[in-house]
Amino acid sequence: MLLTLQSAVEDVKDSPAKEVGKVAHIAAHGSLMGARGNSGVILSQIFRGFAKHVQGKAELSPRELAEALEEAADAAYRAVLKPTEGTILTVAREAARAAVQAAEADAASPSSVIAAAAKGAKAAVEKTPTQLAILREAGVVDAGGFGLQIMLDGMLRTFEADAPVAEIKIAVPVAQKALALPEEGWGYCTEFILQGKELDVDRIREDIAAMGNSVLVVGEPELVKVHVHTDEPARVISYASGLGSVAKLNVGDMSRQHQLILEESSHEAAAPNGSAQPPAQRSPDRTNGVGLVAVTAGDGLVNIFRGLGVDAIVEGGQTMNPSTQDMLLAVETLPYDEAILLPNNRNVILAAREVGKLTAKNVHVLETGTIPEGIEAVVAFNPERDAADNLESMREAADRVQTIEVTHAVRDTRSNGLRVKKGDVIALINDKLKHAGHDYGEVVRDALQDLGPDAYELVTVFTGEDTTAEDGEQLAASIRESFPSLEVELQTGGQQHYPFILAVG
Amino acid sequence: MAGFRVVTDSTADVPPDWRDRYGIEVVPLNVLFGKESFRDGVDLDSDQFFARLEKSADLPTTSAPAPGEFKAVYERLAGECDGVISIHIGSNLSATAEAARIGAAEVPGLAVRVVDSLNTGMPVAFLCRVAAEQPSLEAAVAAVEARIGKTKILALLDTLRYLEKGGRIGRAQYLVGSLLNFKPIVGLFDGSVQAVDRVRTRRRAIERLADLLRRDLPVESLAVMYSTDPEDAERLQGELQKELPDIDVGLGRIGAVLGTHVGPRAMGLTYIRA
Repeated sequence: MLLTLQSAVEDVKDSPAKEVGKVAHIAAHGSLMGARGNSGVILSQIFRGFAKHVQGKAELSPRELAEALEEAADAAYRAVLKPTEGTILTVAREAARAAVQAAEADAASPSSVIAAAAKGAKAAVEKTPTQLAILREAGVVDAGGFGLQIMLDGMLRTFEADAPVAEIKIAVPVAQKALALPEEGWGYCTEFILQGKELDVDRIREDIAAMGNSVLVVGEPELVKVHVHTDEPARVISYASGLGSVAKLNVGDMSRQHQLILEESSHEAAAPNGSAQPPAQRSPDRTNGVGLVAVTAGDGLVNIFRGLGVDAIVEGGQTMNPSTQDMLLAVETLPYDEAILLPNNRNVILAAREVGKLTAKNVHVLETGTIPEGIEAVVAFNPERDAADNLESMREAADRVQTIEVTHAVRDTRSNGLRVKKGDVIALINDKLKHAGHDYGEVVRDALQDLGPDAYELVTVFTGEDTTAEDGEQLAASIRESFPSLEVELQTGGQQHYPFILAVG
Repeated sequence: MAGFRVVTDSTADVPPDWRDRYGIEVVPLNVLFGKESFRDGVDLDSDQFFARLEKSADLPTTSAPAPGEFKAVYERLAGECDGVISIHIGSNLSATAEAARIGAAEVPGLAVRVVDSLNTGMPVAFLCRVAAEQPSLEAAVAAVEARIGKTKILALLDTLRYLEKGGRIGRAQYLVGSLLNFKPIVGLFDGSVQAVDRVRTRRRAIERLADLLRRDLPVESLAVMYSTDPEDAERLQGELQKELPDIDVGLGRIGAVLGTHVGPRAMGLTYIRA
């Protein structure tokens, strides 16, 4: 809810509008674009209902304000396929009811209306455990409802600016997360924005309801927000892609916490009111119509791949081991019918090979075994040549680069005639353990010497998550000193497990 | 009085000895660094140009010779021959060909055929050489026009800075916006600058240049060019000469106009496909 609210606030701040109708519209749009999770989406609908009621108005009378809150509550109910009492819906309705009552009083003012709404919300929140068994059993109140209460309290405070910041006390603890809507089964929490023309929101809701549960489909004919828990996220995306363009896709594997991030294309088209993100579109220079999907982990590496033109990135999580499903999803989100998939890890290659069998799209797996291989391959990608041509040059580029991975031995071991003790710094060359020692510089130098530095020109050092900039500089300097003919480029990788990954080419 | 002469402009990067050997007249463009104006190749040579380029905050601009300059050259040549073929830098890159046409109109007694090369740099010098070797003006025009679509420049850049600053990046968008450094290879053909490839290291980029050339074989004219550092260019020239013993592989200098876009430490191949 906070993220959703922040999105609305940012957009309102950016705008010079002063009329309540305009501000409400901007907030509604902003909250829709930023809506996350069940509560977030419902909140965005509360904003929307409110905005609809105050459209065209510059200011509001107490009665208009109360009625807007009523319409907001109605919109919230309409958003949910199976409205349940004891949730944010109840709180919204009770708050609106109290507001309407207060508006009928003689000395009614906007602030008295909001005060009443906040009070009504508080009472409703405290009642939620009596309405939902799941809350009662956990001994908590509904989090979404409580969030709404806090917001109304905040609104009240803007009227009574000199009032001391009241601590919101509540008799019963608040649920850690929104338990309100019953969640059936595990699966993938799938959210996205669908942009198109003449979208039939009700029909879309119906169709998606058949593919999962906890369904929330809200919006307008040009912009629909979808939230669903499903075992077949690829099917949902495929369905949606057929109706318009899918953007801001977020898929969380609720059992394994793998995240898929759809990379927005670098297309610079400005959205009409400047606040919306551009939808995932075909890149204008991608004349070959082939998309790129890469598996990686680490913020820096994600940025590097993104900057090189990769359309969708599958973050492999802790183990850098996404499932076929994760990669399939990424392929389905592409605005292209053909794709090149780079697993960038030997353990992922098998799962990657299966992806092509599960989609109508034409998927080519370029079997890259390490991140440096993946990067070199993507650099070699030419948006004007066809897939076959590209696969050849990408393969060549991937084959030429040597990968050195530096980490610490987790146990004593003997490998390739090398004796390694737990804790030693070790270097793997193209996934094979080759060198061990006491410090990074020593081990990297040995590995480079092994490769024969005269055959190479450039070493790119990717620093890991916990590696400091100083460590990186130190290693770079050490390499330059020992091998003056090698150029060294330092990049932030952000990867886990390997303090340093080196691409030698 | 008989025969015809070849006229071109300074952007053709005509090797000095060709001027005498083939009687090629070169009309200089003007290179402007801020308020200072230089006649390209006359007041400012390549070394001086690139030295200034690196030091300048703003890119130099070039301007076409005035029509009057062409008029003067044609008038002088009218006393030496019957006709002139005037081959110039692509009209989308400069107004030079237009200036030549206007100048020619002022010399009615001379048959002047102005040809738009749709390119710049040494390919134009090659076209001049081809023209000079023809028996007549008509044959020269036909021979040159037949080759215009076949001229090509492939350049390996040390930096995209100049291309970006000059606004010529056009479809080369995929060469920018990356955190990683790479050497871009751009092409100049069909009248515009095109993104051709991106390569991580200079050495591999040079190999890629040669690979790209091989895809376009056979060629009838070929030269390796460079903007500031000759070593890599000379080495490539040697290698290609061994590989293609039947062609004379030349070595040329990238001049001001092309140089403004490719910058220092650039090198490339220029050729006419057979």
